[in-house]
Amino acid sequence: MQRKLTMELRSEDEEIKDAGLTIDLDEIARRGAMSKSEKTIAKWYGIYGSRQPGNHMARIVTPGGVMTSAQARNIARVSEKYGQGFISVTTRQALQFHWLKLGSLADMIRGLSQEGTTTKHGCGDVTRQIAACPLAETCPYRRLNVRPWAQKLQKFLGDAEDLDNLPRKFKITLSGCSAGCAQPYINCLGLIAVQKEQGGKTVRGFKAIVGGGMGWDPYVGQELFSFFPENKVLAVARAVALTFRDYGDRFNRATSRLKVVVAREGLEQVRMWVLEHLDAEGVDVSDLETGPVEDTGPAVPDRPLAELTENSGSDGKALVRIIVPGGELNHHQLRRIAELSEMYADQKVYTNNRQNLELHGIEPDKVSVVKAAVQETGLSTEGAYTISDIVPCVGTTYCPKAVSETRALYKLLLPVVSLPQFAQIRDKVLINITGCPNSCSPYRITDIGFRGMRLRNETQGSEEGYEMLIGGDQKAFGQILGQFKKDDCPAVVETVLEAFVRWRHENETLTQTVVRVGLAAFQQEVFQK
Amino acid sequence: MKYEYAKAPCPSELSVTEGLGEAEKDHLTLAKDVPCQEACPAKTDVPAYIQALAQGDPERAYRINLEDNVFPGVLGRVCTRPCEDACRHNWTNIQGPVHICHLKRAGADHSPTPQALPAWYGPTGKKIAVIGGGPAGLTAARELSRYGHQISLFEREDHLGGMMVDGIPRFRLPLDKVEREIQLISGKLDVKLGANVDQARLQNLLETYDAVLLATGTMKSKDLGLPAGSGLWNGLDFMKAYNSGDITSLSGDVVVIGGGFTAVDCARACARAAQRLIGSGNRVTLAYRRTEQAMAADLEEREEILLEKIDIRTLATPVKILTDDKNQVTGIVFQRNLIQEDPAGGKPGIAPLPGSEFTLPCRYLIVAIGQDSDTAFLPVGVQPDRQTTQPKLFCAGDFLTGSSDVIHAVAEGKAVADAMDQFLMGQVRKRYHVAVSLIRNRVQTGRTRDHDLQRPPAMPLATLSERVQEGTEVEKGHTGQDILAHATRCYLCNHKFEIDQDKCIHCDWCIEAAPRACIKRVSRIFRDDQGVPTGYTEAVSAKETTFIFIDSNECIRCGKCLRACPTGAISMKKMTRTPCLTSGGTL
Repeated sequence: MQRKLTMELRSEDEEIKDAGLTIDLDEIARRGAMSKSEKTIAKWYGIYGSRQPGNHMARIVTPGGVMTSAQARNIARVSEKYGQGFISVTTRQALQFHWLKLGSLADMIRGLSQEGTTTKHGCGDVTRQIAACPLAETCPYRRLNVRPWAQKLQKFLGDAEDLDNLPRKFKITLSGCSAGCAQPYINCLGLIAVQKEQGGKTVRGFKAIVGGGMGWDPYVGQELFSFFPENKVLAVARAVALTFRDYGDRFNRATSRLKVVVAREGLEQVRMWVLEHLDAEGVDVSDLETGPVEDTGPAVPDRPLAELTENSGSDGKALVRIIVPGGELNHHQLRRIAELSEMYADQKVYTNNRQNLELHGIEPDKVSVVKAAVQETGLSTEGAYTISDIVPCVGTTYCPKAVSETRALYKLLLPVVSLPQFAQIRDKVLINITGCPNSCSPYRITDIGFRGMRLRNETQGSEEGYEMLIGGDQKAFGQILGQFKKDDCPAVVETVLEAFVRWRHENETLTQTVVRVGLAAFQQEVFQK
Repeated sequence: MKYEYAKAPCPSELSVTEGLGEAEKDHLTLAKDVPCQEACPAKTDVPAYIQALAQGDPERAYRINLEDNVFPGVLGRVCTRPCEDACRHNWTNIQGPVHICHLKRAGADHSPTPQALPAWYGPTGKKIAVIGGGPAGLTAARELSRYGHQISLFEREDHLGGMMVDGIPRFRLPLDKVEREIQLISGKLDVKLGANVDQARLQNLLETYDAVLLATGTMKSKDLGLPAGSGLWNGLDFMKAYNSGDITSLSGDVVVIGGGFTAVDCARACARAAQRLIGSGNRVTLAYRRTEQAMAADLEEREEILLEKIDIRTLATPVKILTDDKNQVTGIVFQRNLIQEDPAGGKPGIAPLPGSEFTLPCRYLIVAIGQDSDTAFLPVGVQPDRQTTQPKLFCAGDFLTGSSDVIHAVAEGKAVADAMDQFLMGQVRKRYHVAVSLIRNRVQTGRTRDHDLQRPPAMPLATLSERVQEGTEVEKGHTGQDILAHATRCYLCNHKFEIDQDKCIHCDWCIEAAPRACIKRVSRIFRDDQGVPTGYTEAVSAKETTFIFIDSNECIRCGKCLRACPTGAISMKKMTRTPCLTSGGTL
């Protein structure tokens, strides 16, 4: 058979996708193996391979980062039955099973569907899990409640058959205010709620940020529209997705994300394409603004989530945050949390981008009861959004892409960050650890970030290590402090924190101090002393 | 300083990231990585011209060839193809090597108006006499002329081209193809046709010219040492007569003795002249004392020999020529022989089998068992050498090396030109370096794994009835998509993919992206004195892995690793063997 003679530049994945986006997981179970193309298409069903031979990962989409207590119980049940009882929480507020056998994938999906959850579009070249502010409903700084929009968008874009084969993944997040707790600047499309005065009335809408992204080629998102009315969010998001579908690179998957389209073609060009798509779909674009818009909502602090503790919700109710160590909990714990949400909270379980869970709508006098009950399961309720709330990706524990065992570094760092001299800066430093350049734990946007690597030895072999960044923010990424062997990392962190304690002004975060004194001062401290 | 870790060194295989590589290791890396170019006596930049063809630019392909091997239209037809034996497809693919020779011809066929190459240096005032207008002499004349010297070319025949015109039949090499390329050279020379140079004239030339080159080839045919009669030719004379149109038909059976290029060409010419192709009764037999594998014809040509209804008798030594009373050849007696392997690995010997004699009747007998150079006109006491004991006298080509082929003659011509220029100017005015260009901006080679696995299209051939027409070329040449199919098979070995170990984080994403086992996790890389890798030990775990290493021998230059690398550790560099003029010339 003659092979094709095309010089056309398309990736193999595109050929596979063209052949159809469906697979039969029951047939695969009977056959006991997945072909190469089936493995590619399995991603549309939320299924990946695992580093552990014979196991698979599945990502459960929880639109807007919330599930009902019934869904949470069901997820716990399915996890127990098919996934060795472990559940991971991701930085994009989804959930993952890591111990699935090939033969149980179909049953796992059927099990999840009993409560209306799915792994569909958990992975693949589609609109992925749509993230949102964890405190969307009750945050005092919110311009509007973005959660319903996240849920509507997930369905609207997920159901669109013309958007099921994008050049690569498409990530959307919604933030209720300009603080951007949902990280709008590092997503393909970040939507930030805005309120403004127009004709004596308060009008609510969104600002659209496009082209942000982490990975090995990071970009800060840029402002596509400074304002559009709330009710156009579906149309605008769809037009951005269509633009990505039409203009994304389908040859090189490493450069196919929307961030690269925006970087290569320029914001103006992308805006033109988006407006063309809106126009073609009959959407009135006269109220889409690009000029400066004055947001008239309450002033927002830098890190609202660190300030908003259990009783500061606008509904008079309290919240309890549950620290999930290393982002992984077991089915007993999830079941108990679901139960607590039914007994004391709003019958929902929330996820946040620190890989933790939250319970909202708790009567303030029940907070201590809930906390005690959570602690009984072995999970902590203290220290969310602080230095000890370290976010490692799954690393080499499960991920075939990872270079380092991020959970091991997490455990090495915990004693250092818990030292008493650092109590005063607890809420001023966040640490993320990622096992490879994909940045599943976005290490460039936190005060301290680690990215796994291996450092070769003097003669032979290599050792696990990390590139360490400091001073990151979602609009200005961290700077490389250096590359360190894993065992040296705790001492380096300690040195950096000690310098921070000495050098910080008033309420500065580590990132603010790094920006003020410069990277070189910290490098001097680490390497010379 | 704290946290400054000692790391195993891993230098690049090239001395520069970009620019001119002048170190020995640059040349060694090029030689190791691009085996076709290394195997080519003229060092033709094979991957560069094949890439030009793949990009739809035959004229650029032709220019590269013209620069390197002087007669692309000729060599694209008759080259002995040492490059194809060296092609990496032979190691890693069962579809055979890239058809480099046919691609060379495709470049020539699709370049309608080639231009002569410009001179490197202005006039030097030096006068050189080149004796012999064959491939070696013409090549040397062209190169010496580009050096700025004034060339007089002396040719005994009334035309230039030597063996290219006289010794190779038109159905393999049409005359216009040779003439076109000779004209690109001869325009700048003072050509003296019909100029026979004997000992006295040579002496005269040595006195009037600054240097003299002898490239007269091998014109003295060997004979069988048997008493002969009329109807017997030596191969060269026959081929010359056939090519000049003196022989258009033969009536009677023919026996050709020999197994070299000339013997095969003579047999094929006779098959035409004797109308054998379309089934006349005249038999043409090619008799050779060794086996078919030892013949100069390659597999493709042996197929043509059989198709053209030529009988092959191997393992037969002629012992007696039979003649009638008018001294006309009537047949030849052979004795069977066996091949005796030489235990020392030398050329196998011939062991006759007494009593095994048999007779082949024939009317014509052509003896093509080799040629020698005629050294009678050398000054007394002077032996052939690159530069002889008479310092102004140089030798090159078959005259110096013994009977060989066109590509070796070209290489000889280039080598002697460089030596003569150095002699005349007292310095080396042209050196070869490895130009290294770093390919940026995501430029792709355009190769995919699928290109490796293509089935190479066959060369279109003239039918037997077409071949009967005088001058019909047997191989018609590739066109269109077929050229692309052949050209895209080339691995483009002149592209070097390397990992900067200081940027590599051992994520293995390149290994995952690789189309085959071309990238390895290794614990050790073994190198020669120049730092060129000679081998490695594969690592079985991340802990044992010191380097991630791209094995150039396995690399198909698809660039998938480059695109997958998250840290920009992988680079793609293009290596080009480039002449550099040292004394203010212009390339």
